[in-house]
Amino acid sequence: MKVIENTVVKSNTEIASGIWELVADSPKICSEYRGPGQFVSILPIDGWQHPLRRPMSIAAVKKSSLTIIYKIFGDVTSEFSKLQKGDNLNMLGPIGNTFSGWDDSGYDPVLVGGGVGLAPILNLKNTCADNGIAVAVIIGARRGAEHFMDHDPDNGLWLTTDDGSLGAAGTVMPTLEDVIASLPNPRLFACGPEPMLEAVRDFSIAKGIPAELSVESYMACGIELCQGCVIAKPNGQDKKNSYHERYSLVCADGPIYEAKDISFG
Amino acid sequence: MADITVTIGKHTFQNPVFAASGTFGYGLENPDLVDISAFGAIVTKSITRQPREGNPPPRIVETPSGMINSIGLSNIGVDKYVSDMAPKYADIGCPVIMNIAGSSEDEYCEIVEITESVNSNIIGYEVNISCPNVKHGGIEFGVNAELTESLTSKIRKRTGKLVIMKLSPNVTDIRSIAKAAEAGGADALSAINTVYGMSINPHTKKSEIYTTYGGLSGPAIKPVGLACVHKVSLAVDVPVIGIGGITSGKDAVEYILAGASAIQVGTANYRDPATGISILDDLKRYLAEQNIATVAEMIGMVETYES
Repeated sequence: MKVIENTVVKSNTEIASGIWELVADSPKICSEYRGPGQFVSILPIDGWQHPLRRPMSIAAVKKSSLTIIYKIFGDVTSEFSKLQKGDNLNMLGPIGNTFSGWDDSGYDPVLVGGGVGLAPILNLKNTCADNGIAVAVIIGARRGAEHFMDHDPDNGLWLTTDDGSLGAAGTVMPTLEDVIASLPNPRLFACGPEPMLEAVRDFSIAKGIPAELSVESYMACGIELCQGCVIAKPNGQDKKNSYHERYSLVCADGPIYEAKDISFG
Repeated sequence: MADITVTIGKHTFQNPVFAASGTFGYGLENPDLVDISAFGAIVTKSITRQPREGNPPPRIVETPSGMINSIGLSNIGVDKYVSDMAPKYADIGCPVIMNIAGSSEDEYCEIVEITESVNSNIIGYEVNISCPNVKHGGIEFGVNAELTESLTSKIRKRTGKLVIMKLSPNVTDIRSIAKAAEAGGADALSAINTVYGMSINPHTKKSEIYTTYGGLSGPAIKPVGLACVHKVSLAVDVPVIGIGGITSGKDAVEYILAGASAIQVGTANYRDPATGISILDDLKRYLAEQNIATVAEMIGMVETYES
């Protein structure tokens, strides 16, 4: 069940360059939370200047505390960064489905995150750790200052940067290929910018490796009303008259999809 | 307590706050978030003769105090609608107005005939002759007075339920279209549908909507909607239902003063589908504060400098 809740900010801190972590007391949403992959939709705090809520992945849920990680993109997220302890923040959630199969002992989970797609990957990483499941994690960023974790391949955490200033230089893909080479049954979980998801999707299909992708979509509501947050399905193009065969609604069917079930661009 | 009932055609509604088409799904999506029995009525998303996928993404972009959409009438089609959705309206405690869209008179008429063939809680049709986002989705009717009158009269012949024509602001003279709809036998007119808009990303240099132009909604269009409602209400005798950027009781009052007999809440539902209920509470408070006995006596009572 989804709820709309006036949450209370507990902390709001910059954890890397332009990347913030906000923890809110949110007992109602937390009690409905089902697992990593779900998101909340947050009301801007400037009245009606910005009418639409901002969908943001849940980075952690601990008892009644809900954590999001956000990147400053524009006016709305800039305003969020000014929130102080005790301030209210109106959230709608939890929305969407969850990553699945990460707890299947037959597989070796490999988690790939980048940019704003960090939050659900971090959530899944910590949830696996809480359940004693070993995972490999690869996190990409444009530059080192955007990372807030340590490059630590011995403990299963690889960082990459486009400019080579931290960890491996380049995108996450070469590191991903290296990492899965040593795993008997890799299963991929990814969230990040569309070019990254597309690369992971194509790679997983070519190699026959199961993969779940968490996709981003512009959405006006998050509650199946606006029909705006669609992503194309690779099949179902042929019928002249159809509904929901060519496009999937991310707020209702996603945000987590098997790689083979969606197409980009 | 003030009398907040309003009458449109042969129907009396418990209050003048309706949910607008395309912003409230089929009315059944979010029972946990909103008690729809509190609304005067709900208007469904547009139903077409055949199911429609809608337009490719991007379909939505936020703009200053508004948003542009180009969904493209994505819907399940009338056959599935009457078999799967209409029966669920039996217990919702709220009258349903079915919004319909077509690319020809025949299509509109077939949708009405199919719907008339089943028993349901649907009390009327809001006829979309104003969707800006599909090539053949009604706008060709809504910009032409003759076609509007002809379509209205054909639908009128096929139903005893309410016939409400939904007008576009994207016309030279909305009054001429309004009069044509009235002449065709409409029970009421709703105004306005979205306003043509465009948004460009200066970094990527791309249009932010797949179909280039879309429909602007939200508080940004409230003054446009108010002016249209005022003009239309002076031009016709049938009731006008006001739509466009309504987010508060104050907005609803302004529309009623401009000439609206009822109002529809649209874009605000995306933030919170229960916005209409808070608008209704605001409206009741306003009536009490102003010592106004009925909503009906407020309709069109705006004072203007020129008469």
